[in-house]
Amino acid sequence: MTLRGALFISLVCIGLPLDANPLVEPRVKDVSFEIRFADHRFTPQTLVVPAGQPLVLTVVNSSHERIEFESFTLNREKVVGPGETITVRLPALHPGSYDFFDDFHRDVPEGEILAK
Amino acid sequence: MHSVLLPRALLSIVALCSLGSLPCFAQVDPWEFEVYPYSTTPRGMAEFETDNSVVTRGHPDGGEGTAAGTLPSQGMWSNAYELSYGLTDRIEGAIYLNMARPEGGGLRWAGDNIRLRGRLFDEGVLPVDVGWYAELEWHKTPQFDDATRELEFRPILEKDIGLFSIMVNPKLEKVLAGAGHDQGFEFGYDAGIRFRWTRALSPGLEFYGGAGLVDGLDSPREQQHCVFPVVWGALPHGLEYNIGVGYGLTRASDHVIVKFNLELERFVGAWLKASADGGWFF
Repeated sequence: MTLRGALFISLVCIGLPLDANPLVEPRVKDVSFEIRFADHRFTPQTLVVPAGQPLVLTVVNSSHERIEFESFTLNREKVVGPGETITVRLPALHPGSYDFFDDFHRDVPEGEILAK
Repeated sequence: MHSVLLPRALLSIVALCSLGSLPCFAQVDPWEFEVYPYSTTPRGMAEFETDNSVVTRGHPDGGEGTAAGTLPSQGMWSNAYELSYGLTDRIEGAIYLNMARPEGGGLRWAGDNIRLRGRLFDEGVLPVDVGWYAELEWHKTPQFDDATRELEFRPILEKDIGLFSIMVNPKLEKVLAGAGHDQGFEFGYDAGIRFRWTRALSPGLEFYGGAGLVDGLDSPREQQHCVFPVVWGALPHGLEYNIGVGYGLTRASDHVIVKFNLELERFVGAWLKASADGGWFF
């Protein structure tokens, strides 16, 4: 790549609004589920979701402690501050069990996403 | 006195001239045997990492294998310290201290880097998760690297397929000062496949290579390509490791390299507010 090419790509990127997503519309077919963290535990502990369909998880931290919502099997890791809500996008899952836990507090009981 | 100094001065001049004419073959960076994933250090988190590699079967002369300077790669221990911080939910910054210990020598400063790395959009929005990486590297240590300032750009590509993650980091490097500054961009790559088996122990395969200048690739013999079977996982107290043995696939590559990376992640406090949901850059 020439320097001119690199500059062109940079300028195209700079021209896009940085805090919005102009390229991708939300996928209407995504199914949403909520996981809430309060009193040092996740609710629900076992989340049953449909297999074979992209998902959006909303993780609500209703506690006063900072957590790191993590799933090893799903390769997701996000910090959620007290009172904050985050979204976690998941691809269509094969039927099976997928872990999730708070990596900042290992004494918090682990949860499970059950794709059926 | 003069009779001693003059030959030494002449030898130094010859050495400097030959340094300027060292062949600029594609090289693999021995300080960073690490494939970057799409995910960045979470906002407000600091990550301290040490990356190490030891060339157990390398080359006897400088400028060959992973040695970009006058010292040979054989027996070289490259030791990097990296401190990264999650600036936003999508961008992290990092500083590096690179050290090196040649065979039979002591540990010495070999250079520094600063870099920014980010991920575009949210995970799963695009068919392949895409990130970016920009780094400035500087060193005045011709024994380890005859370029004094370098710029590096990488797109970061990742695709998760079930319990497998495939990561590809094509690299474009430009020497800004020092040997090779008048040349164009050099092309290289870091890539890896990871299988998430257990949190404590999982296998992977990593690939590192340098192919030469974008507008004139080196011949296959002169290119460097290495493959590293690795194991990685989490240890108690928030530590994570990645250990592997690399094998050179071409004559120009170092033949055997052992790598050992260790990292520790801690929340230290966020400076910036949470990134907008559905954003793509910040």
